[in-house]
Amino acid sequence: MIAALDEIHVHSRPSLVNRSRAPTSVDSATEQRPDHALMLAVRDGELDALGELFERHHGPLFGFLFKLTANRPAAEDIAQTVFQRMLKYRHTYRDDGSFTAWMYHLARRCASDHFRKANAAPHATDPVDLHEHADDAPHAAHTATTRDDHALLRTALARLDHDDREVLLLARFQELSFAEISGILECSVGAAKVRAHRALAELRAIYFRLSKQAASSE
Amino acid sequence: MNCQRARDVFPELLDSRTAATALLEARTHLANCPDCQREFATLSQTAAALDAMPTPHPSPRLRQNFYAMLEEEKHSAASVRVVAAREERARRASLWRWVLSPLVACALLLLGFLLGKRAVPAASSMAPGDDTTKRELVALREQMAQQTAQLNKMTQLVGYSILQQQQNPANERLQDVLLAAKAETPSEKVIDDLIQALTLDPSANVRLRAIEALYAHVERDVVRAGVIAALPREQNPLVQLELIDFVATAQDHNATPVLEKIAADEATNVTVRDAAKLALAQL
Repeated sequence: MIAALDEIHVHSRPSLVNRSRAPTSVDSATEQRPDHALMLAVRDGELDALGELFERHHGPLFGFLFKLTANRPAAEDIAQTVFQRMLKYRHTYRDDGSFTAWMYHLARRCASDHFRKANAAPHATDPVDLHEHADDAPHAAHTATTRDDHALLRTALARLDHDDREVLLLARFQELSFAEISGILECSVGAAKVRAHRALAELRAIYFRLSKQAASSE
Repeated sequence: MNCQRARDVFPELLDSRTAATALLEARTHLANCPDCQREFATLSQTAAALDAMPTPHPSPRLRQNFYAMLEEEKHSAASVRVVAAREERARRASLWRWVLSPLVACALLLLGFLLGKRAVPAASSMAPGDDTTKRELVALREQMAQQTAQLNKMTQLVGYSILQQQQNPANERLQDVLLAAKAETPSEKVIDDLIQALTLDPSANVRLRAIEALYAHVERDVVRAGVIAALPREQNPLVQLELIDFVATAQDHNATPVLEKIAADEATNVTVRDAAKLALAQL
């Protein structure tokens, strides 16, 4: 019976093992210091250690922000702000802290500030964005995007509620434990798990709906 | 277990880190329930598609902006104060070490002497002709001689390190660098010392000799990273020219942001700026 279950493929998360780049500073070239030790060094005035942390984490951080915002320049600006705040608020980093959890906590705040500012600024509606609204009739541009599976999923992710998208991306990609995610989202571990699962179920519903629409329009 | 309870365990089953330890009961239910299998399969498919979604790389602008911001922060008044305080703490710690290490060495010597005193009467009181005891005594003496030699060596090393840090005149430090340069296959420690001399030594001559010595090891990542790290800190135009020449020879693209900054900095010596521009063109 259990063997039958094994046939249902459980997809593992993408490994982020290779995300660390070659060390660039003299200290870390001789020995790989853990993130926490590097951030403590930054807090104590060794600012060059932040360069090492940047090299290790800016790729995954940018990836998270790109998927969250679906906007490359915005993701870069927010990533830049995250490292700026790490420098500015380095004295608040705690001895018992987790660097990755702290970084995504800052990233979440920076993204939220970015969206608030973007929403406050008046802007003209881009016709390309109109497919984001609920509409049963398939849009021409929409049909074009759904031809590609990744584009389809990107569209589904963009249609997901911001909070759902955020928890799903944190849970799926960032190698964070649910304890850390619950700390970032300021909720209980159980609530974080439930939210992540509901978000995945919601994404599935949108994704399959879009797939059907794409299939019927072809 | 019913379907609802089994589905509550789906988050654990969908997470590769917890799938193996998820409730056996839920796994058993899933293996037997077609409805739950369909539900799980579609969730798993969505999760797989999400995991496989490609992410573009950030543009080089992100790295450039970050390092520019880091340099700016390093030169801000608050950071300079923190660094000065850190150096002061390190200097005090070093002074304490200088005072304490001879005391510790003396205490260890005294301890060795007392132990020796206790061992000798025991040896003299043994019965003559007892071969086993004689051999033990010889072994004990050899051990003590080794420990004393080791202690002397340690004391010399501590003393050497302190002298190097605080009292060695520039020409002696220069000799050290020249000696290190002669080694054909230097250890990591020697390379570290050369990089440290290049980065921290107050004498421009010592720094020049250090960079010359490091040319032989340009293929090592740590050497290139050390030179790139030393470049923005260097104020002496002669040494700056040598460092720029080094990174141009090394063809290390990591040096580009630093070179761009030097080339754009109007406060920098014109020859140095020209050399930086030339090096950028070569890179």
